[in-house]
Amino acid sequence: MIVLDPNGEKLNLMPLNVGPSHPATHGCLRFMAAMDGETIVASVEEIGYLHRGFEKMVERGTWQQVVPYTDRLNYCSAIMNNIAFCRAVENMFQVEIPERCKVLRVIVNELSRINDHFVCVAAAFQDLGGTTPFMYAFNPREEIMCIWEKLTGARLTNSFARIGGLSRDSYAGFEQDVLEALNSTEKALKDLHACLDRNRIFLDRTVGIGKISAEKAISYGWTGPCLRASGVAADLRKDEPYYDYETYDWEVVVGTQGDCNDRLQVRLAEIEESVKIVRQALKRLAPGPVDIVDPRIRVPAHKLAYQDMEGLIGRFKSVYEGVRVPEGEYYSGSECANGELGFTIVSDGSGHPYRIKVRPPCLTQFAAFHELVEGGLLADSMAVLSGLNIIAGELDR
Amino acid sequence: MTVEEIFAALEEMFGAKREMQDKWGVTAIVPATYLHNAVQYLKEQSGTKFEMLVDIAGIDYLTYPNHEGPRFAVAYAFKSMSTPGSRIRLKVLVSEESLKVPTISDLYANANWYEREVFDQFGVIFEGHPDLRRLLNHVEFVGHPLRKDYPAQKRQWLSTNDYLLPELEKRLEELGYKVVQRSKEVETNDNEFLEGSIKE
Repeated sequence: MIVLDPNGEKLNLMPLNVGPSHPATHGCLRFMAAMDGETIVASVEEIGYLHRGFEKMVERGTWQQVVPYTDRLNYCSAIMNNIAFCRAVENMFQVEIPERCKVLRVIVNELSRINDHFVCVAAAFQDLGGTTPFMYAFNPREEIMCIWEKLTGARLTNSFARIGGLSRDSYAGFEQDVLEALNSTEKALKDLHACLDRNRIFLDRTVGIGKISAEKAISYGWTGPCLRASGVAADLRKDEPYYDYETYDWEVVVGTQGDCNDRLQVRLAEIEESVKIVRQALKRLAPGPVDIVDPRIRVPAHKLAYQDMEGLIGRFKSVYEGVRVPEGEYYSGSECANGELGFTIVSDGSGHPYRIKVRPPCLTQFAAFHELVEGGLLADSMAVLSGLNIIAGELDR
Repeated sequence: MTVEEIFAALEEMFGAKREMQDKWGVTAIVPATYLHNAVQYLKEQSGTKFEMLVDIAGIDYLTYPNHEGPRFAVAYAFKSMSTPGSRIRLKVLVSEESLKVPTISDLYANANWYEREVFDQFGVIFEGHPDLRRLLNHVEFVGHPLRKDYPAQKRQWLSTNDYLLPELEKRLEELGYKVVQRSKEVETNDNEFLEGSIKE
């Protein structure tokens, strides 16, 4: 297409379609760019290629049946989504979960965050042509995946949290496994920093690329590491603390430039903070119950169903009718790996959710994508995309 | 300024009512005509400024037990960055006949996509929105799937991909460029892909 630029100069632009299925888009995303040589002049995005109708599906099941669906939102840190949803529903019941459950949730939450950030940084490096850091990051990730396997039976989409507790207590030797995973995480961090920090090629590709100011990031509703990279110290774990996050000794990581490099470095620094939190949480992990004892919220254990009439009735009602969440409307946001994962929940007091709206952190970040890439090179758009960590599962729901 | 005080201010200035369904936080029901002013007040003037729009959710009350009043609602969630931990929600009731809500996409950049999503899923029209297209569903999709009367099992035949060239031209013009000669591909038959979208 032929256009006149703001100075009245004639340009011949080429519309270039990228995606929806491109190896570097990590999922199905599409954008169309007007190219002037190698430079992107304008860009528009399209999403929805992975739209499964999450919000329609969950209206047909019981409240407990929502939990496995939430795994498929951000599949890089599936357990975190479970916990965010269960926390929202527990808040509606206005119940406190037992201490051991809280600590276990903090541990798996932070391990998921480590996992998610590792995938993001590794994939970002991979997209820029470096395969070594990918292997460095995936070694500790594999160890965490093995913990998931022992803990839940699944590696990727592992629903561990339940409304009012956890699907099961941790296994014997869990603490030891976590400690070993933390040790190799720290080793991998050292290796990654050796690869990243002074790597000329990497810095050339990421420093000053895809810059966004704090005001603009807030206006776009950015949350999580991407917002913090722009210099805003906003973290729900500190601002609206839950699960006693405020009592752990850790810092909110903040960047300065808001560019692609900062977004990746913030993630690496956050892994360090998560390691700190998990180490402290392991010390607090004391024996005790993990589930709320209330058949109206948490399904009674199998053992009770076989031995006790009340337990049998509780289990039957809970499975067939679902928990009855108090009638009303509620918004709850939790700090997930990518930012604030929010659930707007409308309950009519029956065993089925009336409406659940997910607020995926990726959506707001991808909505600003054109602002980040316009004026840059086409090759840089891939660096920007992987720095944002767009997960199509939660973007499209 | 506490959230309760802000609610009192909204009540006085815009005739907001307390949503009793929200027992866990503060939700103000605002008349659609005052929505834009109320949001602007929250963002720029109130004692606690709500700089971030967190979410826009559509709700269809068609099968809600004992529900009285308009069928649809659009719920906005705001969060304060300057006073961490402060949140407020606004709600607009939308009747099935009018289906119209003023846009707030000029105040918050992310409202653009959120409003497109609510339009896509519920058919609520945001007046003044610069580019009200479907967001998650396909361009050829007919109907609004999150309405309670849309059957979950229904299937539709969708044939063509989304057409981004006109949007690209729009974006170029936003940036100050002037399109002199359009791409050859832009001149296709509009009827074949725009059924079910708002463009008619």
